[in-house]
Amino acid sequence: MTIKVSRRVFGAGVVAAGLVGTSGQSLAQGTPRRGGTLVATWGGGEPQACYVPAGGGSSPTFSSSKLFERLAKRNMDGTFEGVLAESWKPSADFKSYTVKIRKGVKFHDGKDMTVDDVVFSVGEIWKKYAAASALTDFAGIEAPDAETVVFNYKNPTPEFFFASTLCGIVSYIVPKHVYAGSDPVTNPANNAPIATGPWKFKEWVRGSHFEYVKNENYWKKDQPYLDRLIIRYVRDPAGRAAAMEAGDIQIGVFNPVAPPDIKRLTATGKFVATPKGYEEAVWSTTLECNMRNPIFAKREVRQAMFHAVNREFIAKTVYYGYARPGTSPIYSPNKEFFTADTYKINFDPKKAAALLDAAGYPKKADGKRFTLNLLSAGWFPENGKVGAYVKQVLEDVGVGINLTVPDRPSSIKRIYTDYDFDLAISNQANPSEPVPSTTQYFTTDGILKGVPFRNASGYSNPDVDKLVDRIKVETDPAKRKALVFEFQKITTQEAPLLPLVELESITLASTKVQNHSNDPNFLAAGWGDLWLAS
Amino acid sequence: MAGELVSPTPTLRGSARRAAALRLLRRRLIQAVPLMLGVVVINFCLIQMAPGSFLELMTAENQVSDPATVALLRKTYGLEDPVWMQLLKYIWALLHFDFGFSYRQNMPVIQAIWIHLPATILLMVSSITLAVSIGVAAGVVASMKVRTLWDSLVSVAAMFFYAAPSFWLGIMMIVLFSVKLGWLPVGGMMKIGGASGGPVAGVIDILHHLILPTLALGLFYAAIYTRVMRSSMLEVAQLDFVRTARAKGLSRNKVTIHHVLRNALLPVVTILGVQMGTVLAGSVVIESVFSWPGVGSLLFDSVSSRNYPVVLGIMVLGSLVVIAANIAVDLIYMWLDPRIEIR
Repeated sequence: MTIKVSRRVFGAGVVAAGLVGTSGQSLAQGTPRRGGTLVATWGGGEPQACYVPAGGGSSPTFSSSKLFERLAKRNMDGTFEGVLAESWKPSADFKSYTVKIRKGVKFHDGKDMTVDDVVFSVGEIWKKYAAASALTDFAGIEAPDAETVVFNYKNPTPEFFFASTLCGIVSYIVPKHVYAGSDPVTNPANNAPIATGPWKFKEWVRGSHFEYVKNENYWKKDQPYLDRLIIRYVRDPAGRAAAMEAGDIQIGVFNPVAPPDIKRLTATGKFVATPKGYEEAVWSTTLECNMRNPIFAKREVRQAMFHAVNREFIAKTVYYGYARPGTSPIYSPNKEFFTADTYKINFDPKKAAALLDAAGYPKKADGKRFTLNLLSAGWFPENGKVGAYVKQVLEDVGVGINLTVPDRPSSIKRIYTDYDFDLAISNQANPSEPVPSTTQYFTTDGILKGVPFRNASGYSNPDVDKLVDRIKVETDPAKRKALVFEFQKITTQEAPLLPLVELESITLASTKVQNHSNDPNFLAAGWGDLWLAS
Repeated sequence: MAGELVSPTPTLRGSARRAAALRLLRRRLIQAVPLMLGVVVINFCLIQMAPGSFLELMTAENQVSDPATVALLRKTYGLEDPVWMQLLKYIWALLHFDFGFSYRQNMPVIQAIWIHLPATILLMVSSITLAVSIGVAAGVVASMKVRTLWDSLVSVAAMFFYAAPSFWLGIMMIVLFSVKLGWLPVGGMMKIGGASGGPVAGVIDILHHLILPTLALGLFYAAIYTRVMRSSMLEVAQLDFVRTARAKGLSRNKVTIHHVLRNALLPVVTILGVQMGTVLAGSVVIESVFSWPGVGSLLFDSVSSRNYPVVLGIMVLGSLVVIAANIAVDLIYMWLDPRIEIR
């Protein structure tokens, strides 16, 4: 269920891209028109495989999500809807969930999808790869009849959590007859998947594109509306802009072009840009303190790091205004769990200096209190710019900074394996359900050496651990919400890791493309309902 | 490796030239063995020294947290051996023409390279052909019309194309010829789904896609050849044998083509041999701008993902191409200038 940080470089502009509100025409108009080919791209590169069982980042998620399907999906209004599951309901003690599986669904090779495929997918793929961290309490799955599967848990499991698990980013139902008895990671079918989705794999021309064709036997009888879907990879953002302008590509997701090109293309009236469709994958740029450095043992020092930083400035300058200050580890678009009632880490250099003084780190004769190594993860170009700014403002309050911006593999190794940093600028993308995708950055069990995008700060607080354990098992939605609010209050005050800014991702599409951006994680949606106006 | 020219000597003729060429070939092939070994050892060590490994990246991308799984992966990829053992195993595999396995692409390295090789060869052959043709022609014109408007035009054009960043030139060409005029495709190697109309239409489609990247890459090389050719022509034109040819009453064109041009080509051939090494690596920038699915893109991705087997494979194959190209250059020297004996 965790939305993993893409390892692909965004290219110029990247997350900076964004136009507040949808410019151009509406996203869905009239009666769907059948036929045609849609050529799509995204703001990153080609995936390592069409389908990576454990996710593998945004690129394979983009390519695989058009072929595979999940048991459920989340709608724009926040409700859950069955996809390969028709319905689900918890037991009285919330320790098991009974899921009715959709009948009449066939894989692309003509074989029926059965409960055996569901049991295999959950037990062998989700548990081991796709949703391992979300299934720590999972006790097994069984199929009492040909239409039902029962998920069993060791502890009471909240409904929102369970439904979110069904919607997990790569919680796909895979064909047992293709994957059973093989290593799922190296199965050749990963490069030519057989699945149940609206699109059938036809061809992968490496270095160029995927070609998918309409699944004539798709269980939604009227979909897909289009005949063919091409996912084309253009490494250079300027090249993407040119290809879109020339009409070679009709839609680009996840910041396909640089901000000036978004404005230029939408100004022609032939394109529409929208930040919609990323509500379940909100990105942030974070700053984290390495608790292994004794300087950070005092909370005041950690708080001072954040008080010294003007987040508005970062949002406006580094991200061209297309980001907003982050105030909590739960991001502001999260309607279920976000609260603004947290510890306020406002831009206040005087307070930062006072906190450092109070912590016992006054300025020395050379004007410095102490010196830190700041590592800015080099997978996004903006991180380096944020790092340069953070260095400047921390030096203003007397903290010496040695800034490095290593490339992607080096950053991963230094932050998550070697813990070779004092302060790190990194990125996260989290869905609405906070467990475990958000909480694992703060809990002790999230400290996993060598595992990226977990608790690299080394922050360990028994109170937070207990609180998260309660969030995991609280089945009353109101009480659970209150616990998550409390989690936000504690973590913002403790400040081992916090977002500096929440980023806004953009989809750019030709005005001919209809029904796009209609899913809270549009990049990972099936796209069977997209169509082209004449 | 090319070089060691000894000239002038008495001209070698007939069987003596063939024997000299065979001696050269044999010597160069023997020299290639330690050279290749050096290339493999140095590249292997350099890659080992780079921070981060493909295993770390792979476990990162796959969110593998179980230590047992990580240990299993280390064993599977042979990473539990000491580095020297890994190197010996790699050399042993290379001796059996085994370039290793790319776990990122889930296929043998040679296959991963092979998929991208045709696109790179096509682009580099076409761009170098264009560059040599334009460069030699423009250099000859500039040298024949030295200190005239033609000379100035050629010099300015050469300077422009040499100085202009190829990615900028590529993007400008796309904007003009693809976006504004709509004459040529924006990128890619062929129409997605294939061109309708059979194999001939397919070839035409590829050529259509090839024009812009060839121009963007070829004009840069052409600028180099132009400058080299011009100065070489002017230098050779001052030599005694050219003066003798003129004194014999040969026409200007005849002297230029048969005496000056042939000898002035030697430096161009030298540069050509050196540039052959870039054939396999391709042009990362141009491939990126034009979405050309070549080896350059593969190399870039492989370095970014620390996909060492593929990086090493491209390096080794690239070195083989350089060695072959330099042997070819030496042989061409002998053909162009029979006075040359290469020791």
